[in-house]
Amino acid sequence: DENGVEMKKFKRFESYKRDNQFPPKIRDMGIVVDQKNATVILPVMGRPVPFHINTIKNAGKSEEGDWSFLRINFLSPGQGVGRKDDQPFEDASAHFVRSLTFRSLDGERYGEITNQISNMKRDAVKKEQEKKDMED
Amino acid sequence: MMAAIESFDNIYLDLSKENGKCRFAENGLGWKPAGGGDAFTLDQSNIANAHWSRAAKGYEVKILQRNSGITQLDGFQQEDYERLSKIFKNWYSTNLENKEHSLRGWNWGKTEFGKAELTFNVQNRPSFEVPYSEISNTNLAGRNEIAIEFALAEGDKTNGHNGAGKGKGKRALAGKDQLVEMRFYIPGTTTRKEAEGGEA
Repeated sequence: DENGVEMKKFKRFESYKRDNQFPPKIRDMGIVVDQKNATVILPVMGRPVPFHINTIKNAGKSEEGDWSFLRINFLSPGQGVGRKDDQPFEDASAHFVRSLTFRSLDGERYGEITNQISNMKRDAVKKEQEKKDMED
Repeated sequence: MMAAIESFDNIYLDLSKENGKCRFAENGLGWKPAGGGDAFTLDQSNIANAHWSRAAKGYEVKILQRNSGITQLDGFQQEDYERLSKIFKNWYSTNLENKEHSLRGWNWGKTEFGKAELTFNVQNRPSFEVPYSEISNTNLAGRNEIAIEFALAEGDKTNGHNGAGKGKGKRALAGKDQLVEMRFYIPGTTTRKEAEGGEA
């Protein structure tokens, strides 16, 4: 079953198993890039919410007056990008978080976070491609 | 046996910058900033539900009020659960529900609209919640896309508010990274209906 195989591959990723695996930095209620677990932790109303790099499409920084904005775009259906196995198609009624935008007065930090996420994404895509090449 | 007052230190109210002392008694609970200032109190008759979850500072007790308000108390230790569970059961006839959040790191699931907040569930576990009081605007940003904007009133630059007594509309502003917008992809024809539900 071609589809079943695809699904299994997709479901393999998981950010954390237990909440004691969160990096201590989540205490500050800011965005935390956790390289070790290929995850970005985003603060939503006081809750540290992990997003695995495989769900992230890209991150971008913009400026408006004194404020800097960091927008994180996630992979979701209907964007015309991403390979077929990037999405969990078993549930057509699933809702997706498509983007989250934060603002801060510390623009330099958002530049750093954007770079970290881009590098992590690049590494993840590279690793995935290497795995694919090995299988072929 | 329980004391007449059960007290906890280093507790943060509604994402407050400063911690404080949280006290529980039979007739309700209170929170006071450690450095002094206005106290927050909640009468036991206003407690509808209580949830126990992992949060940023430690473990959180979230109280859903009968008047649809939400109170978040963060900074408890894991081992406080039993003591708190007894407090809620004996004094407020409320079950302190253990709500384990999803740690998978997935961005797909189901959006659920409760009385006071929306919950995004991943595999039947909450991933995050958004109190309606924090939402300033929602709109259909595109086909199957809903944008939720958060209340960033007066555009002030004072990062981090002392949450004492003014929990409404301030959570998005509390941290050093302020959430300004969230977009969802909602498939099918239910989009408009659910968008309107979210504004209620």
